[in-house]
Formats: sequence, structure tokens, C-alpha cells
Amino acid sequence: MNTRLLTIGQTSEIIGVSIQTLRRWDNSDKLSSIRKKETGHRYYKENDVENYLKNNLKDLFRLAKNWVFNKKGLEPRSDFYCQDSSVFQARLIKLENELSKLKRLGRTFPLISAIVGEIGNNSFDHNLGNWPDIPGIFFSYDLKKGKIILADRGQGILETLKKIKPGLKNHQDALYTAFTEIISGRAPEHRGNGLKFVKDVVISNEISLIFQTGNAQLKIQKNDSDLRARKTTANFHGCLSLIRF
Amino acid sequence: MTIFLKKFGTTLSGRQFGRESFAAFKPSLRNVKNKDKVVVDFEGVVTFTPSWGDEFLGSLLDKFGKRLILKNTDNLSVQATLKILEKVRKINFSRNGRNEVIYVYSKKI
Repeated sequence: MNTRLLTIGQTSEIIGVSIQTLRRWDNSDKLSSIRKKETGHRYYKENDVENYLKNNLKDLFRLAKNWVFNKKGLEPRSDFYCQDSSVFQARLIKLENELSKLKRLGRTFPLISAIVGEIGNNSFDHNLGNWPDIPGIFFSYDLKKGKIILADRGQGILETLKKIKPGLKNHQDALYTAFTEIISGRAPEHRGNGLKFVKDVVISNEISLIFQTGNAQLKIQKNDSDLRARKTTANFHGCLSLIRF
Repeated sequence: MTIFLKKFGTTLSGRQFGRESFAAFKPSLRNVKNKDKVVVDFEGVVTFTPSWGDEFLGSLLDKFGKRLILKNTDNLSVQATLKILEKVRKINFSRNGRNEVIYVYSKKI
């Protein structure tokens, strides 16, 4: 068992909430700390923090969001972090195996592992050698709740798609194009059209997707025919997605 | 010649992996004679994606065109991927109707 102790500052960075919030949670026993003296500093058992994260997917999504929005690039915790595509591939196989055990999905489970694979690999394929700060992706899931989260601190859709469509004006245009327009040109870089595949799978199945890049967000669900990317107030470089099924 | 995709793995995702798979297999394609069919068997594949498919199948399509036959394609991720590859490459795979297990490549008119 891992009994390493974390400071309140480290815990705050890992969970993605303020130190004040952690103090409040400590007082209400939501996440208890340890103090060497009654009035001393708060410490947290690493195991307690891990368990807290595993049991609170809402917070996992917030964690991913904080990670991509944070001005300072930090590596995510190792169990959510795929630093290269081989680590992602190994975790994708694990996910596929776990999805296959969910009876409610029946023979549709490979569609979910396929769209996760496309979103994750899209991050690697379009940022290899060009990561602005932290290479790799954040990848976590809670299959009981039917939620999967992927995020990257890459260049974002606009920057990478501009190489093929220089006329793109903003993140909304780029996001819409990525999900709807077939790009068959092979030069100057290979395009997977993976996000069109993701959209096709989502609109034909009991799956929903929220995808954010820059200051644009797209929500897709079953039977959607009119996709619209909306502008968000906050802006970040990279991509953030939440798949529900 | 028959290519059993499960020999590359059962989770076929990512351009990099697709490129590596094709590069590794390419020397074996030298044995294919001029009129030989090339059968790609999907039996045992669990997750199939456009990124891997475009690199591997796309390269086979470029090389063999109508001589390519795709077999055991009933997995839903295989079917969804073939659909998007048709759109991207502006081609039609002709389904033979027998439980949609064999796809024959033909050019779209």
C-alpha cells in the first residue's frame, strides 16, 4: 500500500481545487487530512487522494480541464498520463477489454474503443515533434458511469488544420470543419478524417460527445443532423473531450 | 494470398502503428503474382479505426485495387471504418450480400 504523504499544495494541484476548498473538505470529512500536531500543516495520504479521484469522475473531468487550462504545463499523474502513443495503445487495449465485459453494450463496444482510439491518436499524429509544452495526453474513464475523458496540451485543431486549409478563421470554423468536412488531400500531412468517423459513430449510436479546442465547443449526440460549434469564454491550446455512453 | 489482420493485433488504431504494420508486411507482398487476389481477413479483430485502416488498407488499395477482397467484416468498428474510407477515398466497396462478409473494391463512377 502506498503511504506517501502529500502536502496540501501538492494535493491541490493533483485534484485541481484550491487549498481553501481542501480545508473545507477536511472540516466536512469529504477528504480528510492528517496533521502531525493539532494546529500543524495538513498532509494527505497519496492513497486517499487516488481513491478520491477514482470515485469522483466529475472531479476527474475537472482535473483534465484544469490540466489543459493551466498556464503552467505540468505532467498529469502517471495513471492518467500517456506520454506517447505506445502507452496510449496499451491503455486502449485495457479499455477495450473492460468495455467488452459491459453487457449493455453488446456488440457495439468496439465502436466506443474505436472513437477513443481516433481521438487519442489524433492528438499524437498532429502534435508529434510540435507539442507546445507537455507531450502526450490525459486519458481516464469511469465505465460504471459510462464516461471517458481525453485531453491534450497540443496545438489544437485550428493550428493543425490551417496547414491544409489556410483560410480557416477561428476555432469554431476549424472545429466544424474537422468534424464535418472530408479532407482527401494527402499533402502536406496525412489526415485521418478520424473526427468525421467519431461524429458518424456518435450520431448513429447511444453515445454523446463534448469536444473543446481553443475557444470552441461542439456537442454531438444520437441523430444530430445540424452540428454547430459554439464559442466559449475561456481559451486554451489543445483539445478536451468527454464521451458518454 | 490471405492477410490475417489479427496477426498485427486485435486493437488496430493509430497512423503510426498502421504505417509500421504495412512496412513490416511489405516484403511478403513480393510473392503476390500479377493476377492473384489479395484477401484481407478481419477475423478476430476487435477494434478497427480509420487511422490504422487508411495507412494499411489504403496502401493495399493503392497497390492492388480491384484485386483486394475484404473478408469477415461483420465487426461494427470494421464496418464503420470501411464506410468512412469509402468517403475519403471516393471509392465503393461492393458488398456481396452473404452476411456482408466479403467486400470487393471498385472505383466509384
